[in-house]
Amino acid sequence: MTDTTTGYVYRAPREWTRLHPVTPLLGGWVFLGLLLAYWIHNQLPAWVDGDNDNFEFFDRFPFLWLVLAAFLAFAVTIGVSFWQWRRTEYRIGDDAVYLRQGIVTRQQRQARLDRLQAVDVVQPLLARLFGFAAINVQVAGGQKSGVELKFLRLGDAEALRNEILVLAAGVKEEKATGDDAAGTEAPGAPATAPDATTADTTASSGIRSHLAERAGAMSNPEAILTGKERVRTAVAAAEEREVYTVPIGRLLGSIALSGATLTLLSLPFIGLVAFFVFRVDVVAAVGAAIGTSLVAIVTAAAGLLGFFWTRLNGGFGFTAGISADGLRLRHGLTETRRQTVPPGRVQAIRLYQPFLWRGQDWWRITINVAGYGEDQESVSVLHPVATREEALRAVWLVLPDLGDPDPYGTLGHALHGHGADGGFTTSPASARRVDPFQWRFRGVRATDRALLIRRGRWERELFVVPHERTQSLGLTQGPIRRALGLANVVVHSTQGPVTPVAAHLAVDDAMALLDAQAARAREGRRRQTAEQWMSAVGLEEGDAHG
Amino acid sequence: MAWYDNAAAPWNFVSRKLITARMITMWIWLAILMLGGLAAALITGAALLLLVPAVALVLGGWGSWLIVRQVTAHAWAEDEEDLLVRRGRMFRSVTVVPYGRMQFVDVKAGPIERALGIAKVQLHTASPGTDASISGVPASEADRLRDRLTTRGEARLAGL
Repeated sequence: MTDTTTGYVYRAPREWTRLHPVTPLLGGWVFLGLLLAYWIHNQLPAWVDGDNDNFEFFDRFPFLWLVLAAFLAFAVTIGVSFWQWRRTEYRIGDDAVYLRQGIVTRQQRQARLDRLQAVDVVQPLLARLFGFAAINVQVAGGQKSGVELKFLRLGDAEALRNEILVLAAGVKEEKATGDDAAGTEAPGAPATAPDATTADTTASSGIRSHLAERAGAMSNPEAILTGKERVRTAVAAAEEREVYTVPIGRLLGSIALSGATLTLLSLPFIGLVAFFVFRVDVVAAVGAAIGTSLVAIVTAAAGLLGFFWTRLNGGFGFTAGISADGLRLRHGLTETRRQTVPPGRVQAIRLYQPFLWRGQDWWRITINVAGYGEDQESVSVLHPVATREEALRAVWLVLPDLGDPDPYGTLGHALHGHGADGGFTTSPASARRVDPFQWRFRGVRATDRALLIRRGRWERELFVVPHERTQSLGLTQGPIRRALGLANVVVHSTQGPVTPVAAHLAVDDAMALLDAQAARAREGRRRQTAEQWMSAVGLEEGDAHG
Repeated sequence: MAWYDNAAAPWNFVSRKLITARMITMWIWLAILMLGGLAAALITGAALLLLVPAVALVLGGWGSWLIVRQVTAHAWAEDEEDLLVRRGRMFRSVTVVPYGRMQFVDVKAGPIERALGIAKVQLHTASPGTDASISGVPASEADRLRDRLTTRGEARLAGL
């Protein structure tokens, strides 16, 4: 099958197939890491850990024994991983991705493609160095309902992703398993446009014709990146148009202008004030603090560094694009992630501007996607640091039609306005008692397609929830708000970092909003895009004679 | 100021038996506390310990009043497209759940609730924030309600 000069055509397996045999080798390095940490600890001069006894446990053992133990643990891990790999198999059906795994308890899981919410191609550092990748198929429905396939060759992973997306889009292949046309024509016959059109005569519709359209758009779709092999895919990636990228300078700037940096920078200042104003012996105090709670200090430092690292790693090289398969996001410094979120899968958007970002007018944009659930911080970012113009574009990316004659003007009012400008319903003056600073800045406005909720005087926040994505609505009021004639309207979205609340509205406004929003959500559900987004726009019919 | 009653359908108030059920649960705990306090007071002879049952009694009185107020405010309405659940007097809320958003419906009943012939109907959407449970639905009505909700949900199912 494999022709090293021209590459081969990868085709998603219809039969039970194991993952790439390298899989067990890509884990288990953590024990060698521990060993390294211990070695470094031994090399450090004694004053670093002084007389604290965190490492005393290790100090009782000779180095050689530790080396042996680490290697044993490593070997066992690899062994177990290998066994796990032997018992893990996956296959693709027309309706679902199937995975079965487990040594003791066997588990079979299927990710139904009509419930597909997102497909990610993830490359942890080690896998990335060797050109491998994992695929995460996220589907709606509870925790851990997705399927993770790790590891495959990067090229195979991308090809598999393309095929999953095409199937999920509702472009059905006529013969699912049949004669395996791709296999027979494979060697040296890359799936480009002319080839696909000849194939059209035999297997007329479905993937093939869809492929022809796609391949025509991209001359050499996926002559992929592993360097060693050139993989051609049975289904080319949908053509992608880049919408924005985040320059590294701005990313670093945004991290520098964060609360964590401020905390870090303020520490020496606090020390100086303590020394000169309060005459505290800072050195002794710090020494005492380290002596008593090194663990706490290390934890705090790790937390801060973790914050910087997450922001840097998650935002590095952040690129967003739009394709027929939906939204595409790429990012990552050591671990890279390529996310594809099909149209209509974004449940809610949050634009947030911390106080320090106001000067630059930067915004951090996060989204709710049903499948991502708890795994939020790394995957739910639509834009780590957007200029105002990019922020508007990011909203457009998710919601091409805001349902407003002047979308930019309206969003402008939503991002920066206050009071009732731009048709916003604001909090009444009585809200001043519970919300003295930002009551003028709270506002709610519904366009034909989405609900906008804004708040914040010094830091700004804006929620955008498409009407057809509203799960349910709530109206709440406690005794204090009741005394002031106020109520909150809550929009329930799927699990994720975005939890939209319109707080401190006048009771009458809140009740009217609840009713109107229920009606708008009803209307929205009627015109909702089908789960199979390609069949919704009628691409199949167009393809049949194309 | 009137509270929300814009539903087109009539509000169904939950069964008063829910009062009994909640009272039983609450008073069982309070009784344990009171007896414990009493026993301790008798054994140690410290009169101060008698405060424990006294406080428990006061708490029980207040709790009973709360339970009556809460249960009599708890109601649901089945509109054309949405289910509305209303609850609470001091901290009050209305939840509007479209039938098309329902993922599944639970009917639960503990031993006390079963003895009294009531059940709790809980709707689940794709959102963890949706708090749409109706406590104290008469058991026969609970099953009918579940079936009605499921049928309507299927008819209007709208993906996510």
